[in-house]
Amino acid sequence: MNRVNIRIAAAALLVIALMALGVASAALQAQNETEKPAQTAAPSGARSVWDGVYTEDQAKRGEPLCNAECTFCHGVKLTGGESAPPLVGGEFLSNWNGLTLGALFERIRLTMPQDTPSRLSRQQKADILAYILSINKFPAGKAELQQKTELLKEIKFEANKPKE
Amino acid sequence: MRGSRIAIGNLLLWLLALISTVATAQDRARDGEWPTYAADLAGTRYRPLDQINASNFNKLEVAWRFKTDSLGNRPEYKLEGTPLMVNGVLYATAGSRRAIVALDAATGELLWVHGEHEGARGAAAPRQLSGRGLAYWSSGKGGEERILYITPGYRLISLDAKTGALISSFGDHGAVDLKLNDDQTFLPDLTTGEVGFQSAPVVANDVVIVGAAFREGFTPKSMRNNKGYVRGFDVRTGKRLWIFHTIPKKGEFGYDTWLNGSAEYTGNTGMWTQLSVDRELGLAYLPIESPTGDFYGGHRPGNDLFGETLVCVDLKTGERKWHYQLVHHPLWDMDISSAPILADIMVNGKPVKAVAQPTKQGFLYVFDRVTGKPVWPIDERPVEKGNTPGEWYSPTQPFPSKPPAYSRNGVSIDDLIDFTPALREQATKIVSKYHLGPVFTPPVMSQIDGPLATLTLGTAGGGTNWPGASYDPETHILYAFACNACLTPLGLVQAPKEVSDMNYVAGTAGQKVQMRTGPGENSGADSPLPSRSRQAPPAAGGGGTYGPLNIDGLPLIKPPYGTITAINLDKGEIVWQIAHGETPDLVRNHPALKGLNIPRTGQTTYNIGTLITKTLVIAGDGQVTTTEEHPRGAMLRAYDKATGKEVGAVYLPAQQSGSPMTYMLNGKQYIVVAVSGGAYSGEYIAFTLPSQDE
Repeated sequence: MNRVNIRIAAAALLVIALMALGVASAALQAQNETEKPAQTAAPSGARSVWDGVYTEDQAKRGEPLCNAECTFCHGVKLTGGESAPPLVGGEFLSNWNGLTLGALFERIRLTMPQDTPSRLSRQQKADILAYILSINKFPAGKAELQQKTELLKEIKFEANKPKE
Repeated sequence: MRGSRIAIGNLLLWLLALISTVATAQDRARDGEWPTYAADLAGTRYRPLDQINASNFNKLEVAWRFKTDSLGNRPEYKLEGTPLMVNGVLYATAGSRRAIVALDAATGELLWVHGEHEGARGAAAPRQLSGRGLAYWSSGKGGEERILYITPGYRLISLDAKTGALISSFGDHGAVDLKLNDDQTFLPDLTTGEVGFQSAPVVANDVVIVGAAFREGFTPKSMRNNKGYVRGFDVRTGKRLWIFHTIPKKGEFGYDTWLNGSAEYTGNTGMWTQLSVDRELGLAYLPIESPTGDFYGGHRPGNDLFGETLVCVDLKTGERKWHYQLVHHPLWDMDISSAPILADIMVNGKPVKAVAQPTKQGFLYVFDRVTGKPVWPIDERPVEKGNTPGEWYSPTQPFPSKPPAYSRNGVSIDDLIDFTPALREQATKIVSKYHLGPVFTPPVMSQIDGPLATLTLGTAGGGTNWPGASYDPETHILYAFACNACLTPLGLVQAPKEVSDMNYVAGTAGQKVQMRTGPGENSGADSPLPSRSRQAPPAAGGGGTYGPLNIDGLPLIKPPYGTITAINLDKGEIVWQIAHGETPDLVRNHPALKGLNIPRTGQTTYNIGTLITKTLVIAGDGQVTTTEEHPRGAMLRAYDKATGKEVGAVYLPAQQSGSPMTYMLNGKQYIVVAVSGGAYSGEYIAFTLPSQDE
């Protein structure tokens, strides 16, 4: 390669390098502008427990089920027992704040009631969850609570109503 | 001749130096290990390590993590274990199986697992899940090594520590059936007869000591129950060496403290928590729990020895040397909940071999552990007499004069929430329906128009519970975590005959009596058991829960909700006390408290254990919070042990559910803690410093 060619090649390399740098910097800038703190819950724009994710009828179905299955350990008014946390009120909201309905549903589905989790069907557990949401004053809506875990994971559990 | 004498002299000196070097190295190695549940047999939870200290605690990184989900047929959300570390191997209980795992202590790699499948017997166990720990025994340096633990179905298992294999020469092919050879017949049968265990057995001088546990005593099915005797077994063979009758048999000392022959049928009165041992003195210190019926004792009139009593027995023979009953005729579920701590202290210039017992009632009872004599006077003082029909009341109860109570017992208006005058007024109105009083105020018959119950602190969930306290043998300071706001209403109702044959059980007027289950009951890997049926009708049950007494979620009792207290045992004085645990979200974010600057409140959890090192007190939060400093999680905190000032904190993804431990391995210090709860299934997390920061 003669000297001129080397210079051209070097210049070309330099241009390419500069372009690469420019692209990288633009990308970095873009990333910095849109970067959010790490989230463990649903992607932004997804629904939350404040969006009417269960129906009143469903909660009504869940109430006698809950009384039969949950109050034994969680207390007569679901305010907690010796080894069982409350299912209503501030402590319950704090325990699940920031997670998803899917996480809560899975916990109920897999391990509750403690002696025989398999005794209740997925539908029944969804009804119980609807009742629990209702006594915590989350609003009812037009559609029943989803039963599929992957869909429930799209619904964020927020203790406080998100600002409009 | 002279030359050879010098040569021999030099040789001897050289040998001596060698021996002492080896001995020191062994001591150092032992200082870096954690060979028993509480670090040592004195119950101190202390290691003289300081590689991790105030200057670098915040830099701790996760070295490895071990989830316990697969050790059983369902994940576990109540991992309470403290692992052991010996010879570079970490041993722990894990999972709904209560399996034993051996991990490489540097990397967390699984080396072996052992699980006992106990079928119906495991399913019927009153105390399930992975429990609090296990024991290690060795026949000597380079000799045999074994791991011993007690299964949910109440069998004592001995495993080869290197392989996890059952020791065939121990008991029956590696297992001693603890429901046998217990000087009683477990009723109704061996499979379902109520007795179990969830703490770690203790091994000392080749003796394994085993206690007994039962269901919670709020609503017993019957005034009759199996008894919780304590036994010592030969660690090599499993042969029973001795038994101590916590409820005396006819003719034994203490039998007549159970009037009307009630010692014949009353049960419980076991030892469900850790014990401590003084190997040199050859003495074991047994903390005994409540007799049948936590809150009603009409079927067991009398002082009920050895219920809620600290008993000192001979390690080899089980012979009682001395005892001290902390509560006469127990009615408050003040079962002695943790290991007594053996401390060599200096009182008024004189050395005392002491034993200090932390409790739920916030009293620390300190005795000479040789003679049983209280170090500072314990006064018998008159207490309020109750009026439950048929009940027997002790006219007096023991009150330690020193140290002062380190957590709340009894409830008064002054203990109520006072963030604002309005909240205090609301709280006063709520408690007007309850009977209030100082420690040892008796439970009351629950009446719809009031009193609904006696409101209590320092009973069932109060003060120091199973994790116990910790002790620094260098400074003679004892550190005790306590729940300072764990409110329990003690109301009694008549029990329907189909629920219980006792006259009265815990309950609230107007609500159906609800049977209470044991911790983890029916949730172990051998559950469910088809034959087990609910005792109570499914309609609203009642009473005795912590929950209902709050104002819009705010605790009825004012902060601090949970504390760590440093007590100087030489002087019997409190040195410092801090609130431990982040202010709960519901308090921090509460609209009624907007604009108020509220100092850290601590948390109302009862199950936090502390770890002491050369410079730090270490404990994690018992509840998760979401703050500006950290996303949803809990913090493992380090405090300067001299002052109580927080000097560091690292993030945990869930609350501490087992007490932390520490060890040195290959020149690095590790801290391991169990976390679990709510949405997070059980996990052991190991922390260490980044390599370049040692």
